[in-house]
Amino acid sequence: MNRSLLLVVEDDPEMRSVVSFTLRNYGYDVREAATGAEALSQIQTRTPDAMLLDLGLPDIDGFVVTACVRQEHEFPIIVLSARGEEQHQVRALDSGANDYVTKPFREGELMARIRAALRRPVPVAERRDLNVGDLRIDSTQRRVFVRGKEVTLTRTEFDLLDTLARNADRVVTHRQILRAVWGAEHVDEVHYLRVYIKLLRTKIEKDPARPTRILTTLGVGYRLVSAEALS
Amino acid sequence: MVTPSKGLPRAFRAYGLAAGCVVLSTLCAHLVQPYGHLADQAMILLLGIVFLSLRSSVRTSVLASVVSIFSFDFFFISPKFALAWSDAESIVTFIAMVVVAAVVSTLSENSRRQEQAARATATRTQALYELNVELSSSRDAQELAAVTGRHLSKLFGGPVSVLLQTPEGTLPPAESSRDRVLSHSAWQRREFTKQTAPSGTSIWMPVVGAHSSLGVIGLKPSQPFELESEQGFLLSACVNQFATAVERVQLAGAVRRTQLEAEAERLRSSLLSAVSHDLKTPLATMIAAGAALIGRTGEIEPKAADEILRSVVSEGERLSRLIHNLLSVTRLESATVELRRTPESVDDIVLSAVERFNGRKVPIVSEIAADLPLISAEPVLLEQVLVNLLENATRYGGAEPAIAVYARAADGSVLVQVEDNGPGIAEHEREKVFEKFYRGQHASKSDGGVGLGLTICRSIIRAHGGRIGVRERAGGGTLVEFTVPFAAAREQLSREASLDS
Repeated sequence: MNRSLLLVVEDDPEMRSVVSFTLRNYGYDVREAATGAEALSQIQTRTPDAMLLDLGLPDIDGFVVTACVRQEHEFPIIVLSARGEEQHQVRALDSGANDYVTKPFREGELMARIRAALRRPVPVAERRDLNVGDLRIDSTQRRVFVRGKEVTLTRTEFDLLDTLARNADRVVTHRQILRAVWGAEHVDEVHYLRVYIKLLRTKIEKDPARPTRILTTLGVGYRLVSAEALS
Repeated sequence: MVTPSKGLPRAFRAYGLAAGCVVLSTLCAHLVQPYGHLADQAMILLLGIVFLSLRSSVRTSVLASVVSIFSFDFFFISPKFALAWSDAESIVTFIAMVVVAAVVSTLSENSRRQEQAARATATRTQALYELNVELSSSRDAQELAAVTGRHLSKLFGGPVSVLLQTPEGTLPPAESSRDRVLSHSAWQRREFTKQTAPSGTSIWMPVVGAHSSLGVIGLKPSQPFELESEQGFLLSACVNQFATAVERVQLAGAVRRTQLEAEAERLRSSLLSAVSHDLKTPLATMIAAGAALIGRTGEIEPKAADEILRSVVSEGERLSRLIHNLLSVTRLESATVELRRTPESVDDIVLSAVERFNGRKVPIVSEIAADLPLISAEPVLLEQVLVNLLENATRYGGAEPAIAVYARAADGSVLVQVEDNGPGIAEHEREKVFEKFYRGQHASKSDGGVGLGLTICRSIIRAHGGRIGVRERAGGGTLVEFTVPFAAAREQLSREASLDS
C-alpha cells in the first residue's frame, strides 16, 4: 500500500510525539518539525502529502508558514491550534490552509479531517462534471441535478454552489465565497451570502430546516459535504 | 415671544390714535352744542380721554388731555375761538380731565404690563418644561447637547452651538475665528459675552455646574438680545437646566464606572478561589492516574488500565471546559470587549448549537419560525449561549429529559426560548443564577460546574443589546429566554437587491 507522508509541525515535544504516535497507529508515514524553518527545509527535501501545522511556532508565525508553502505547493495544510477564536480560523483558511482543528481535539475528528484533506479534488480547469454525492454539477452547461432530477438555479445560486462544490468537504470562508461569486468589492457583504445560502438550501436540501449538504461553520464559512464524508 | 417695539411706526400709531380721539370727541361735542350745557360738552371730551387712556401710555394720555383742554377752551368756552377763560368752573374741569387721563391710563398700563408678564412667564414655563422632558430622557452628554441646541434654536431663532468641555479640560473650537475668541472668553471668565457685528449678533453663555465649568453655548439670535430681559431670563434658565442635566449624566457615568471596578475586583478574587480549587482537582486526578500506570503496563489488567485512562481523558475535558469558560468570562467582562458582529441567520446558530448534542442520548426539539430577519451578532458567542443553556437543560432535566428550543420574532428582536422538564428554578433564585459562581440548589457538587454558564450567557446577551431571564415552564420545568435585536434594515436584504439576474 502506498502510505501517505504527513509532516507534523509542532513546537511542544509532548504534543508532537502524541500526534505522531496516533498518526503512525493509523498507518501514515510521519516526519516531524519543531519550528517553521525546520518545516520549510523538510518540505524542500521531500514534499509531504499533507502538513499538520501548529500556529504558535517559536520562530515563524503559522500564518506566514502557510502563505510561504502556498507559493510553491498545493498539498493540503491542516492547522492545529489552541487559538479557538473564529477569526484565527478565518485568517488561516484565507491564507491558504485547507482545514482548521482546534486543540484539544478528538482523535476520530482529526483522522476524518486528514482523510478528507488527502482526497484532493482535481483542478477546476480540467473538469466538466462534478459529482458530490447524489448532486451532479455540469459546469459547461451550468446545470445541476439532485438525485437525477434537474433543479433550476439562478446565475448567482449556481456560482455559489459551484464554488462550494469545488472545495467539497472543506470550509470555504465568507470572504472566499463572496470574492468568487460577487467579486472582490463585495467581500464584506455577508448578508448576500446568508440570503443565497438559504435559497440554495431550499432547492438542494431534503429538509432545508435541517441541512445535511451545505453545513454552516459559525463565524467562518460554509462547507459542502460529499457523500463519502457523509457515510 | 415678546416682540420689541419697532421705533417710529409704533409711536406714530399711538399719536395718531390720540389725535383722532381728540378730534372726534371735539366734533361730537360740537354737534351736541345746540342741545346741551357746557358741562355735557366737557363730558364728551372726557369720554374721549378715558377711551384713549385705556389704550395708550400715561404720557400720550396726559398730552392728549392737555390738547383736549385747549380745544375745549378754544371752541366751547366764551370767548369762543380764543385761548382765554375766566371762571373757576372751567379750571376745575381742566384739572379733572388731566387727572382722569393720568389715573385711567396708569391703571390700564399696569394691567397691560401684568398681562404681558404673565404671558411671558407662561411661555417660559412651557419652554422649560418641554426642554426638561427631553433632557430627562437623554442618556449621555452629547445627546443632551443636541436636545438643548434644538430647543434654543427654536426659542431664539438662528444657529446654536453647544460646546462641551472635553475630559482633558479643553474646549472644542467654535466654527469661526471670531466665535472661537468669544467662546473662549465666555468659558474662561464664566461670563455672558455678546458681540454685535454687521453679520449679526453673536452671544456666548457659559454652562456652569455645581462643581465646575462644563462648557459654553453660542447663539446667533434672529432678534436683538438683552441679558437683562425676559429672553435673557429664559436663556439663563435653559442653560441652567442643561448644566444640571449634564452633571446628572456625568455623575451616573462615574457611579457606573465605580460599580464596574468593584465588580471586576470581586470577580478577580472569586476567580482566584475558583482556580485554586476547580483547576487543581482534575489536575490531581490526572497526575495520580498517570503515575499509577507508569512502569506497570504489564501488571495491570487491560480493563482496569482503560478505566484509569478514561478518567484522565474525562478530567482533561473537564479542565478544558472550565478554562474555556474562564476565558470567555474574562474576555466578556473586560471593558474593552467589542463584538465582531455580522448579519447572521438564527437557524444556523440554533442548529449549530443543537448539533453539538447529537451524540448525547437527550432528544432536543427545535422549532424556528420561518423567514426570521437576520440578526446582527457574533455568531460563536450566541452559539455559546445556547450550548450553555442546553448543557444546563440536559444536566438538570427530568429523569426522561425533554428539551426544546423555540425561536420567533417579537418586537424587533428574535426571542429564543430553551425549556426543560426538570425541577425548575425557585422564584427567589431566578435572578441569582446569573451571578458569578452562584449555583442553584439542585446543582451537584461533582459535575464539574462552577456557576459561570449563565453568567457568560447574560454577559453575551447584554453585549448584543438583548435581555435574558428565567421563568417557570407551563407544566413544570425551567424556561430560559433571551432576545437579540434584528440587524438594521440595510442588512435585511431581499434577493432582488443582491445582484442576481
